[in-house]
Amino acid sequence: MRALLSLDGISVRHEIHDVGWGPARPRQVTAALHAGEVVLLLGPSGCGKSTLTLTVNGLIPQVIGSHMDGTVTVGGHDTRTTPVPRLAAEVAMVFQDPDAQIVTGTVLDEVCFGPENLLRPASDVISMAEQALRQVGLWDRRHDAPEHLSGGGRQRLAIACALALRTPVLVLDEPTANLDPAGVDEVFRTLREVTAGRDRAVLLVEHNLDAAIDLVDRVIVLDADGRVVLDGPARSTLADNADKLVELGVWLPAAALAALRLRTAGIVLDPLPLTPRELAAALDATPALPAPLQRASRAPVSQTAISVRGLSVLRGPAKVLDIADLDIGAGEFVAVVGSNGAGKTTLAQALAGVITARRGAVTVDGLDPATADPRLLAERVGFVFQNPEHQFITSRVDDELAYGLRVRGVPAEEIEARVGELLDRLGLRELSAVHPFLLSGGQKRRLSVGTALVTRPRVLVLDEPTFGQDRERAAELLTLLDALHADGTTVVVVSHDMTLVAEHATRVVVLGGGRVIADGPPEEIYADAELLATADLRPPPIAQAVRALTHHPGWHGLTRLADLPAVETSS
Amino acid sequence: MSLFSLRSYNPVVKVLAPVPAMVVSIGSRDLLTPAIFAAVALVMLLAFGRLSGRPLLGVLLGPIALVAVMTVSFGVWTDPAKVDDTSALFTLGPFTLWSGALETGLATGLRVTSVMLLALLAGLTTDGPDLVRSMITHLRMPYRIGYAGFAAIRFVPRFRSDLEVIRLAHRVRGVDGGRGVVPAGRRWAGYAVPLLAGAIRHGDRVSLAMEARGFGAHRTRTERRQVPLRARDAVLAAWLISLCYLVPYLSGVIR
Repeated sequence: MRALLSLDGISVRHEIHDVGWGPARPRQVTAALHAGEVVLLLGPSGCGKSTLTLTVNGLIPQVIGSHMDGTVTVGGHDTRTTPVPRLAAEVAMVFQDPDAQIVTGTVLDEVCFGPENLLRPASDVISMAEQALRQVGLWDRRHDAPEHLSGGGRQRLAIACALALRTPVLVLDEPTANLDPAGVDEVFRTLREVTAGRDRAVLLVEHNLDAAIDLVDRVIVLDADGRVVLDGPARSTLADNADKLVELGVWLPAAALAALRLRTAGIVLDPLPLTPRELAAALDATPALPAPLQRASRAPVSQTAISVRGLSVLRGPAKVLDIADLDIGAGEFVAVVGSNGAGKTTLAQALAGVITARRGAVTVDGLDPATADPRLLAERVGFVFQNPEHQFITSRVDDELAYGLRVRGVPAEEIEARVGELLDRLGLRELSAVHPFLLSGGQKRRLSVGTALVTRPRVLVLDEPTFGQDRERAAELLTLLDALHADGTTVVVVSHDMTLVAEHATRVVVLGGGRVIADGPPEEIYADAELLATADLRPPPIAQAVRALTHHPGWHGLTRLADLPAVETSS
Repeated sequence: MSLFSLRSYNPVVKVLAPVPAMVVSIGSRDLLTPAIFAAVALVMLLAFGRLSGRPLLGVLLGPIALVAVMTVSFGVWTDPAKVDDTSALFTLGPFTLWSGALETGLATGLRVTSVMLLALLAGLTTDGPDLVRSMITHLRMPYRIGYAGFAAIRFVPRFRSDLEVIRLAHRVRGVDGGRGVVPAGRRWAGYAVPLLAGAIRHGDRVSLAMEARGFGAHRTRTERRQVPLRARDAVLAAWLISLCYLVPYLSGVIR
């Protein structure tokens, strides 16, 4: 069978500011995709996955300045010589950010945009658009403006736009990275239906393996140098090479990670489970399981870090936040969760004094943000915005850290000492003279946390700190937050990432319609099925698996990997 | 759509055909010519514009307010040396209000109002995308330019919300610098870097996504919505152009 897409020895180098051509990422990739295949491209961050997807329709090397070796052939066309827009008849792309793909003013016009560009007759355009919109379930909303759809809805629209082109090849680059859990579910439900016909070749880059695993037939794994190290059937390739993948820095499905951890405790699950359901089945088939680990009980909270009394925030006539009573103790790690529009960001901003509330509504570390001097307030509470770039003010990494101290008139020697200490802690020492905007995504995020930490606040509030980042970058940040938490800093995180919440938070505050609808430790929150449904939350995969156990009721309360019995290898 | 709705006429015709009338109105030196132009445009808008709500209110009250404001302000600010041969209406201390000054103001106000109302013939009855479509079809404007304009308009709300967040973020960092023009300028310069960096990246992504969807594959693209150019448009154009002769003639006769 002739391949729909063949990659032959593809290496891509990007130009690095002031240096010249960087290393090849990906490097020497050769692969062929056939009709009916759904292929997942995996690899540690920075290995060139997204870059590879951009070569498929010629954006690299034709539009994005980069140096490409090798040949990509799609539908018989060489992507080096066929203009990118012409290749739209062969390859359709869905990108990460749904908002950066919208051109027109209505859902229907948007889907028609592609076929119109390809000069399809007007009557065909409409029928192609109708079929695509029906496939993603948006036909009834065809007259709406795209911005009125939810995040998941807009990404389904982007998928419809790709389908309307009726291409033999479909490429999706991190299609769910910018979505909340409900949106992720929506998009994967749609993708499952779209790929069910197995009538085209699909190339998917996705870090959410738990959602993607039952969708894909084949995985291609790149190593950190961008070389293909594994290429084979999805399930067996992941299950048989689990240790190697962990070593490469590739994130595995949570069920597989759980099984690997259990193996160190002598519980061997074979074959390796890849989904919560398989994990549950494998555990139920194991006659006896040791008791789950007891969490180190935390010292009871003695001091209050943040207290909220009658906080309400209006936006126009609508009450976006209405909280009667909320106390957060010193040293807690609190996750604020809830569906879009529940008021999470507004609450976080009010806690840190980013937006001002009524006098007396909020007290943070003894200060009222509504009346306190902003500079004094910043010494008590740090706030980290969702997009790190928004916070940057200076043109060097070290100046960026020093800024908060200079405006406070801290003596120069002390500034130098504190900045030096932070540079080491954040792993940015070598980059101290670099412009903050030239850092990588993960480095920018660490720097933005650093700018909030430099005044040594005892409370740190973060708004969606892992949004749009891959697992590795998220893990890096969470290691940092855990260390701060261990040192006694009170951490408040707004997040959609349920695994983050389950693994790291000591307490979860669930918002719905601007009110607190639940408040408790993660294991209690995730045990309440009714609450989860109301608040549009998805329990993390581990919690899903153990709740399905029939033979081991003692495990039902587990929510995190760290609860699973294991021989701790590190100290 | 109805022959009696301005919305059913070709957008390009509605934009271009009033231009000669605007030129004649601006060039007129009397009161009657711009007044008649303004009245004709107003009647056309009220009778065939199908206006309601805020636009209707604006069309009814806007011209009156504009003429009043310009009459008074010109009356006060016109160089007295030019009009002191006209009659003095009243004197307040060193200030004398001359009838000639008021008349200059009234004429200017009427000219500006007539041009505004003639422009609103298209402005209040045309859908932006339709105008672009029509310009592509009937003026042979390259479609890339038209669609670049669409995309640019879609950036605006995004920038507004970005700017809002950046301002909050900088305030949290302790950027203040005090009141006054210089600190404010410095603050805005600080917003520009993250705003532009975000804008450029967003623009890049949008253009990649557009190319990936075939934008620019051919010299033309399918337009599902044909904006027609019909006999009624010729009639509208003929009427508006004939006004250039009719109105000055009429004002001459009346005077």
